[in-house]
Amino acid sequence: MELITAPPPPVSAPAVAPTPLIGATDLTRRWGKGVTAQLGIDRIDLAIERAELVAIVGPSGSGKSTLGAILAGIDRPTAGSVVVDGTRIDRLTDDGLARWRGRNVGIVFQDFHLLPTLDARENVELALKLADGSMSRRERRRRSLDALDAVGLAAKAKRLPTQLSGGEQQRVAVARAVVNQPTLVVADEPTGSLDQESGAVVFDLLAALATSGTTVVIITHDRHLAVRADRVVSMLDGRVVPTEAV
Amino acid sequence: MRQAYREFRRAPARIITSVLALALALGAMGVFAIPAVASSSLRETVGRDRMADLVLSTTDTGTTDVVAIAESIDGVEGVRAEVAVAVGTGPVRTGAALLPLVGRDLDDHDVDVISATSGRLPSAANEVLVADGVAEVGETIEVTTSDQRRRALVVVGVGGTSFWAGEQVGFTTIATARALGGVDGANRLAIRVTDHSPDALRSMSDQLRLRLADEGVMLTNLPVAVPNGTHPIEDDITQVSTLIGFLGIVAGLVALVLLGSTTNTLITERTREAAVMRALGAQARPLRRRLRRLAVVIAAAAAVIGLPLGILVSNVIARMVMQEFLDVTPGFAVSVRVLAISAVFAIVGAALVASGAARRVTRIPLATALRDRDGSPFGRRWSERVVARGRLGGLLDRAAVRNAVHRRSRSVAVVAQVTAAVAALLVIASLATTVNAFNASEYEPWSWGSRTTVAGTGLDIDPGTIAGLVEDQRVEPAIETIGEFDGWEIDVIGLEPGTHMIERTVDRGMWLPAGEDHANDAVVSTGFADRVGVDVGDDIAVRLATGTTTYHVVGLHPLRGRTVFVDVGTLADDLGRPGSANVIFTSDDQAPAGLAGLTTTVRLDDFASDDRGRSAILLIFGAIGLVVVAVAGLAVASSLAVNVYERRHEFAAVRAIGGRSGQVMRIVTVELLPLATVGVVAGVGLGHLGGRAIMESFERADAVDIGFVFATGAIPAVAATVVAGCLVIGGLTVRKVSRRSVAATLRSAS
Repeated sequence: MELITAPPPPVSAPAVAPTPLIGATDLTRRWGKGVTAQLGIDRIDLAIERAELVAIVGPSGSGKSTLGAILAGIDRPTAGSVVVDGTRIDRLTDDGLARWRGRNVGIVFQDFHLLPTLDARENVELALKLADGSMSRRERRRRSLDALDAVGLAAKAKRLPTQLSGGEQQRVAVARAVVNQPTLVVADEPTGSLDQESGAVVFDLLAALATSGTTVVIITHDRHLAVRADRVVSMLDGRVVPTEAV
Repeated sequence: MRQAYREFRRAPARIITSVLALALALGAMGVFAIPAVASSSLRETVGRDRMADLVLSTTDTGTTDVVAIAESIDGVEGVRAEVAVAVGTGPVRTGAALLPLVGRDLDDHDVDVISATSGRLPSAANEVLVADGVAEVGETIEVTTSDQRRRALVVVGVGGTSFWAGEQVGFTTIATARALGGVDGANRLAIRVTDHSPDALRSMSDQLRLRLADEGVMLTNLPVAVPNGTHPIEDDITQVSTLIGFLGIVAGLVALVLLGSTTNTLITERTREAAVMRALGAQARPLRRRLRRLAVVIAAAAAVIGLPLGILVSNVIARMVMQEFLDVTPGFAVSVRVLAISAVFAIVGAALVASGAARRVTRIPLATALRDRDGSPFGRRWSERVVARGRLGGLLDRAAVRNAVHRRSRSVAVVAQVTAAVAALLVIASLATTVNAFNASEYEPWSWGSRTTVAGTGLDIDPGTIAGLVEDQRVEPAIETIGEFDGWEIDVIGLEPGTHMIERTVDRGMWLPAGEDHANDAVVSTGFADRVGVDVGDDIAVRLATGTTTYHVVGLHPLRGRTVFVDVGTLADDLGRPGSANVIFTSDDQAPAGLAGLTTTVRLDDFASDDRGRSAILLIFGAIGLVVVAVAGLAVASSLAVNVYERRHEFAAVRAIGGRSGQVMRIVTVELLPLATVGVVAGVGLGHLGGRAIMESFERADAVDIGFVFATGAIPAVAATVVAGCLVIGGLTVRKVSRRSVAATLRSAS
């Protein structure tokens, strides 16, 4: 399988080409109320183009992971709106959002979050199953093996997560993220738990996705990797700031 | 304590659930205290009310001064002569047609103190004090007198004595009772003695029997002896305690499983924390001690709540038992022994389980423990590797099944808890079906339609009356009395050899043959005969009210119970006559005319009476069963909540890659259903074995054939209830966990 394939044309996408894939307006996320309230991000406006590789950087607590989580649809803003590929995702129900995630977003976590009781192939296959229950088992199996092959792990398809190294687990997570050919991949510190060599491999995989037309948002504190992105968004204290300010 | 508080702050809901579930389990163990609580209350009542140690039923004493005769015997402390009659009543609340009435000196408080809980004691003719439930103060009870006239008794009070506690009975003046029963003197003696030992009471009753016989006064029933300050109903309470004990064991098992799983969870989820401390140089032993201390503090907190709960449970159920059976409201009592055992069980049990879990936690290789979140990576055990190779079912199904194998102690706990709940429910249901079947089988061989009994305690139906009835083909005289054989109280029934009132087909030997040569022949109920080692051809010495008589066994009859059938004429002779019977049976429900002073019931009345008794028993055991089921339900809820909580990151990951709440629920369901199914199957088996064991213990204790009827019909309802309950609990816990945002849940895992 060719890992980097062009995503299918989105059904709800506007016909006008220059429209960004992601449009976030006045995005705010806060936890708690009153004096104990904690601010995650504060009135952020952000647009990300199709096939763009964006790195969001910033120190710990700057809000970059919160922003990534909202863009990926695994968290909701307290205020503001997020439109991804024409869909106002902050207004979707929990199950609607889950369905949307399954079909449109691939997520890579720092801690991999593979299901410990499923082997590598089953973990990848699960993403297909959740996104498209009608797909045949044979087809799912073929596509998940292809995805694992693309990240160089076809030979270890039957290994349980605990039988894989950290770098290998993250490559399984990347395969799981891309197997549905999503329009957007959000990777939160994808190299944070890996050594330099494994980290470079994973970053290369993500970068290749963008080259083939998938929008990739990478949250990282590693400036050496960030500079390889098309664009760097810097954050500090929950706000987007000029890169030199960080 | 500070450590415990920190732990509480970390996961308050889970700790509270664990503590409460554990506390309720300990509370349920309080059912063990019910017999002790009931017994101590009864004995307190016996002492307070100066209850009679010996009660004799006699023929009409006429003008004989039986009190003086009794008082002349050494060791007699106090005597009161009474008149006991059974009167036919109009429609009273109980629906019973027979009401025992005791005529006595109501100002005498030396023996069997009588008291009114409402209203007052009778002081004039035709006034009556009745037991609770018979009628209300101010109401009138229509009764039939010995000359077949109706008489109205005015209820002036509700109350009674300890001896009659639990019986539907009335108390009146001695003159009123005499008038109602056609008795000239007395027919009952209530006696207090100085030596309460069983041997002394037996010797005393023999002396009294002989001295009274010298004066022409015969005993009409076996004396009732109440040895060593016990209550006559204590034997029944002891039997009830067997069942209570079984349910207590179920509750104890649930508590044990819950204690084990809760403690295991508390320790296991600290694997990584312990690993960090080990990595920083902490030694295994102090670390284990710290973990053990945490478990003990949780168990102690549960004990602080659970033990008072246990006291409450035992007292509430003991109160129900005593109110239903005795109409006695007991005081508050505490079984220190059960409390102490429960506390030790909780704390020592927690310490032991924690020791094992802590040892496991500190033996996991450091690198593995630091890497894995819950300290127990999937794939380490051979069973996990085997199940990981399985490819049956969908991906979510596989994940669920593998998780059930992975968290095997949790799975075993859920199975055990479901098993306990199902077993408890089925034991209760089987008790109902068995009692129903037993009641029906007790009536099955009988074919009488009406049963007319005498008002007094003797053979008050004379030969002249019987001679006037024999022309009526529907009618048969009979005698029902109590005897004793081999230490067992038995029903001795005198019937005509050619009787049509009972099925004469026997299991072995033959039915009572007619003829002078067979006057002393007897037929014994098979179940009783088998249990006491009696067979056809044996001679049995039966103790009757008038002395011991030997009968020759010629047959064994299928009637349940402890029964000996003999020729009615022989039995009348053995009981000393002059009367010939105390029962008249008819083959239809129309009593023969001309039976002055006698009272008729029909089979329907007897069934209704049995129904009331059964309802009371089922109410009590239903309450105990509910406690056990509630504990098991809470235990399942607790296990599931902890299970889902532990796997919240896994579920959040599934949701992050597109899993909807229904799909997450499916994982929980698929994992739970096989466990619940195994639990239901095991529960059905345990319920069957437990129910059978209880009934067999009753059969051994009572030397009767009860026959166990398993409540097969209840299985679908019980299984459906348990499975639905598990699914609801699973759904609620998944919903709770799903409320938090995916990002927040996953972040907390990092």
